[in-house]
Amino acid sequence: MIMRPGQPLLLPANPLFIWFSLVAALMINMLPLGRQAWMPDVLAVTLVFWSVHQPLRIGVIVAFVFGLAVDVHQTSLLGQHALAYTTLTFFAITIHRRLLWFTVPSQAIQVLPLFAAAHAIELAIRMVAGGAWPGPLFLLAPVLEAALWPVASVLLLLPQRRAPDPDENRPL
Amino acid sequence: MPLGTLDRTPPPFFKQGPSALSKLMVCSALALFLMVADSRFRITQPIRAAVATVLFPVQWLSMRPVLAVRTVQDYFISLNSALTNEEAARRKLILQSARAGQVEQLLNENTQLRKLLGLRERLNTPTLAAEVLYDAADPYTRKVVIDKGLAQGVEAGSPVIDESGVLGQVTRVHPLISEVTLVTDSEQAIPVLNTRTGNRGIAYGDAGRYGSGGLELRYMAANADVQPGDLLTTSGVDGVYPPGIPVAKVAKVERRPDSAFARIVCYPQAQVDGVRHVMVLKSLLSQIPPRPAPEDATPAQKKLPARAARSATP
Repeated sequence: MIMRPGQPLLLPANPLFIWFSLVAALMINMLPLGRQAWMPDVLAVTLVFWSVHQPLRIGVIVAFVFGLAVDVHQTSLLGQHALAYTTLTFFAITIHRRLLWFTVPSQAIQVLPLFAAAHAIELAIRMVAGGAWPGPLFLLAPVLEAALWPVASVLLLLPQRRAPDPDENRPL
Repeated sequence: MPLGTLDRTPPPFFKQGPSALSKLMVCSALALFLMVADSRFRITQPIRAAVATVLFPVQWLSMRPVLAVRTVQDYFISLNSALTNEEAARRKLILQSARAGQVEQLLNENTQLRKLLGLRERLNTPTLAAEVLYDAADPYTRKVVIDKGLAQGVEAGSPVIDESGVLGQVTRVHPLISEVTLVTDSEQAIPVLNTRTGNRGIAYGDAGRYGSGGLELRYMAANADVQPGDLLTTSGVDGVYPPGIPVAKVAKVERRPDSAFARIVCYPQAQVDGVRHVMVLKSLLSQIPPRPAPEDATPAQKKLPARAARSATP
């Protein structure tokens, strides 16, 4: 196994935790905080994160299903988020082997175009379908999502960073 | 599995399922089909209803923290502001009670006069109180979701009002919740009546304006009698909204020399931001008589004598 120098060897990912994190991200997306165009899409970050780290478990089809759920919740065009998330995870899977060779901050910079593309797809669809212009603040959303990447890298890898042999001195 | 984890099973070498590219193509084709089906043919309502019902527990759960914060905020609102509110409410009550006395008398008089004229009785609308669950987060539309659905007998197309005016119209009904398109949505139009002049017009939503949106009174002639401060109410000619409910107030009238129409900007009267309690009215369409069938245009019969006459003249 070829690894980046200094990369820690992680425990296997728990599928239950992956699904729990995705549902939790969906719930964060669903918090009734009003209509803010700049609100970062936490579910998109989580989907990209898992399709980079666990591409055999979380991929295009999971993203499609979660996209449909977001579409129904946000009362947007059915299939709009599904298409954006599908494209997002496809590109995430395409770059997953390369991405993990970089440090986390430079990973964040490399996923920024992905999020920007996803938002551009949504904008294009809605402009064609006759929606209102969301205002310039929506340009902030992909930047904030990329800024959430380091946070996700810490939080979502925590269970895999536990000690492989927990004892009394290292209970976790 | 991926690089850098201690997985006990090696990744499958040959059996990896369909490639990501083929999955992408299938899923995006499906998504495109759904979008077309949703926007053009409007046949996706069962899918939406099913997903919404599955999603309802998750929604309910994710609403708890925000509701808890709201409750705590409400609790800590000082006594002072509660007293001011009560004072204001009392003053309003006194003002309204004077009017309410008149209303009794006017209603009596009105029924008598209507009977006298042999007019159809004013349509009475059954109502249903509902609570707004959340503002739809989609920044391209202006919609809210209310906590009453098919189970409570909400119908698509019903008008929704709050205490100060028309809020919007129910556009989609799910089993337990419904979507309300606000009057400020770009695709929403509402027939209005200028209460000062009696002119009728159509107000369109103008979502991009004033934060969460205003309205625009379109197709009014450049010299039309519209002034800032005019109150627009529903005119009732559409058979959807009951007449006489406030919709908007004219904010600005721009008369441009290069256009035959004036640009008239209005503010909605209902509280389109952060409204909590609303009233769903039953659509009047079931109560009014059906529209007469459009008459068939028969140009051939009309033209026939003319052609006969022309052929006869030479």
